[in-house]
This record gives sequence, structure tokens and C-alpha cells, in this order.
Amino acid sequence: MKRLAIVLSLLAATVALTAGAQNQTDARLKRLFPAATTFSPKGGDPPHVKAYNGDTLLGYAFWTTELLPLERGYGGPIAILLGMDTKGILSGLVIIEHHEPYGDFSIDPPAFAAQFKGKDVRDPFKLGEDIDAVSRATITMSSAVRTIRNSSRRMARSYLTPPASPSR
Amino acid sequence: MTTARRRLFFLALGFSVLLAGGAMTPALVAQAPAQEPPAQGGFDFPEEEEEAPTWAEDIRAQAVDIAIVAGFSVLAFVSFFKKSVRLKYITLVAAVLVLGVYKSLLISIVNVFGLMGGNLPIFRYNLAWYLLAAITAVSTVLWGRVYCGRICAFGAFTQLVDAILPDRWRVNIPRSMERRASWIKYGILAGVVTYFLVTKNPLIYPYVEPFWMFGLHLRTPVLLTMLGTLLITTVFVRNAYCRFLCPLGAFLGIVSNLTVFRIKRWSECSTCRICEKTCEWGAIRGPKIVMTECVRCDDCERLYADEKKCPHHLILIRKADILARRAAQGRA
Repeated sequence: MKRLAIVLSLLAATVALTAGAQNQTDARLKRLFPAATTFSPKGGDPPHVKAYNGDTLLGYAFWTTELLPLERGYGGPIAILLGMDTKGILSGLVIIEHHEPYGDFSIDPPAFAAQFKGKDVRDPFKLGEDIDAVSRATITMSSAVRTIRNSSRRMARSYLTPPASPSR
Repeated sequence: MTTARRRLFFLALGFSVLLAGGAMTPALVAQAPAQEPPAQGGFDFPEEEEEAPTWAEDIRAQAVDIAIVAGFSVLAFVSFFKKSVRLKYITLVAAVLVLGVYKSLLISIVNVFGLMGGNLPIFRYNLAWYLLAAITAVSTVLWGRVYCGRICAFGAFTQLVDAILPDRWRVNIPRSMERRASWIKYGILAGVVTYFLVTKNPLIYPYVEPFWMFGLHLRTPVLLTMLGTLLITTVFVRNAYCRFLCPLGAFLGIVSNLTVFRIKRWSECSTCRICEKTCEWGAIRGPKIVMTECVRCDDCERLYADEKKCPHHLILIRKADILARRAAQGRA
């Protein structure tokens, strides 16, 4: 009886945690695509989630660590959830997980994520040029910017149709 | 365990750590320039092809950082080989200001975790850091914990504090207690490494390394209390963190068992206690220098060279005097 209760409570905890994680993911996706009404289940190669408003495809959300698992900062991979619309414009990003010692004044502040919103995947993404550099956190910053640029470009190459006129 | 056998053990330990790290890193680096799939959706990037950065471009982009590390290392090792007090303090100030405040270039327990989990920064993009890491590794094997003594920004900071504050504020810890306390850092190293291996989570580092606390948003009351306690302790106990608590120092201490070029000892050292009393790091115990505690601060080596203080020279001079007098008498 006691054993059954333990098993049941463990099961309940797992379900609650999974549901909690799913809710968290949904909330993050919603932050990237506020206009979206539905999200597809994660799938494809490279793996991604599609955001829809009714039947219109708004864009793609993807996890940098799934596209570029080998990219690393000072303390391992920096996991970022990125949103990109169908024209190759970044709709935003959410830092999911990292172990960067100096992350708190480099990639954690909202200002870091904010400067990527509205960026075109064809932009240069160069630290100190179109992205603000943070002294004392070079390794962290360069890794984060590399992973954002390379994973979104890879997504664009895989899923987007080229714009009508190549020169913007 | 005999000394020779112990040295062999540490040699094997060091090599296995290096091999494990070496085996993991190249495998990861080799795959790092991810093979981009051919343009499937035809999304064209005119810049993409020409932008694939060459090694020369990557090196040029990091040239300033590499120059900073190289320049600082030259300063540190010139001060080390010249045994110059002035150059040593210039090195310490540079370590605090340039490596610490300006660049925050340092070796951390995070890197020890990285070595174990194959999570070191990517070589190609972090040449300056790798240069610093290589200098640290090589100098530790050749001379001992030179990194702790004059490269680490926090160690340099506490040594400068030590030089500025009046001597009489210092609490001199009894030798027996000091010896026991010096083992704490190995306990901390074992503890955090175990924690990392079990949880795979390196986020324990702010609790064992104080330098992350400077300029931080990670200011929890617990961490602030710990940092405050440590800084107040540092005022009264010399280099308390480096000697008793630093897990990276413990790691380098284990490696420094290999030290190739050790500090010279005279036969007179078995009875003389001048250096043992002078050593601020508690690294001299009778005739022996404990390499795991020694940070190559030069204090004792300057004494050896001093012909007015070191008994080795005093006895030689005395002997020469007596011989000269005898010779003079014999001639007379």
C-alpha cells in the first residue's frame, strides 16, 4: 500500500513536471510569436516548431543547441530558443540555459536579447559592430553571437524561399 | 608511500587527466566547423560564402587579446627569473587591472570541469585564453604554482592587500593549524568535482570562487555574506583564500608535484629556519619545500642569494677567512 502510494506520487510528480515544462515552453514560444494561435509539435531536420496564426505560417522557433550541438562558450553550450519569421527576420530569442560565469552581465540582461529582435539573418552579426561587445565576457559573447547567427542562417537555408529580389 | 613512488603516482595522474582532456578536445574541435548542408531552400547569402572566416582573419580579430596575454606573461616571467621585487609588484598590479578588471581572463574551476566533461572553450575562437591556459599548464609543471603567485588576478589582489595593510593587523596562525588548514582546499576540490560529476552542473562555482562576485548580478545574500567574510578574513589572515580554500590552487598543487625545476636547498637548510619563518605561504617545513603550497614568490630564493643573511654563504666566507689566515700564518 505504502509502495503504491510512493509510485503514484512519483508518477504524479513526473506528470506535473512534464506539464510544467511544456507550459514553460509554450510561454516562451508565445513570447517569440505573440500573434500565434497554434504551434506545431517539434519535428523536422533541423528540428523546429512552426508558429501559426490560424492557417498562416508566421515563422519558425528552434533551439540553437539542437542545430549546433558543438558550439561552446566558457562553461559549455549556451542554449537559446530563437524565433525567425518567413522572411528571415529574427522575431526574438529566449536564453534557456547556460553555465557562463559572466553570463549575468553579458547574455542574461534583456538588452542582449533585445538587440537581435528584427535582425535579418543576412546581417553581419559582428561583435563590436552590429552587436554590442561586452568587455570581460568575450568568450561568452562571441559564442552566443556565433550560435545565433549560424543556427538561424542554417534554418533559413533549409526552410525559407529566397526573397523576390536578391538585393534588398 | 615513498617520495619517488608518490611522484610517479602524480605523474601518472597528471598524464591521465591530460590524455583524457586531449582525447576529448580534438574530436570536438575537428567537427566544430559544422558541415553546412547545401542550400536546400535556395535562400541565398551572398555574404555567406566569402564570409567563412579564414584562420588569418580569426587570429587578426583576436590579436589584441593575444598580445595582452603574451605581454603580461613576458612581464610575469621576467619578474620571476630576475627575482626582482619591483617588477613583481608591477606584475601584480597588471594582473589585477588588466587580466582581472579589464579582460577577466583567468583559469577557473569551471575549466577543470570543462576538462572532465570535454566542454572547454572552442580553440579557434579563444586563442588568448588557450595561450594563458598553456602558459599555466607548462609553468606549473616546470616551476610549480607560478600562476597562483603572479598571474591569477585574485591572488595578485590579496598579495597587494597584504603589502598595503600594516603588518601588525596580521594574525599569525600557528604552524600546526596552518598545515591542517592547507588541506581544506583539497577537500573543496574533491567536493565540487564530485558535485559536478554527479549532477553534471557546473553552477557550483560562485560558491567556491570569489572573483565571480566582483561586478555581479548574481548577488544573493548567501554569496554576499560569503564574499564579505572572505574579504574581512583576508585583512587579518594573509592570502587566506589562496592558501586554504582555492580549489583551482589545489588542482594546480596536485599538478605541481611534478615540478621539474625546484627551489635549491643548501645542506645548512636542515638547521637554519630563516626561510621557513619568512615564507608567507607556509610552504617550508624544516629542510623541505612543500611544492603544493609554494607559489614561487621568490622570498626564500632572494634569501639564498643574500650573502649577508644566508648561513650557507656566511659559513663559506668564514671558512675562506680561516683558510686564508692559516695560509698567512704558515707563510710567516
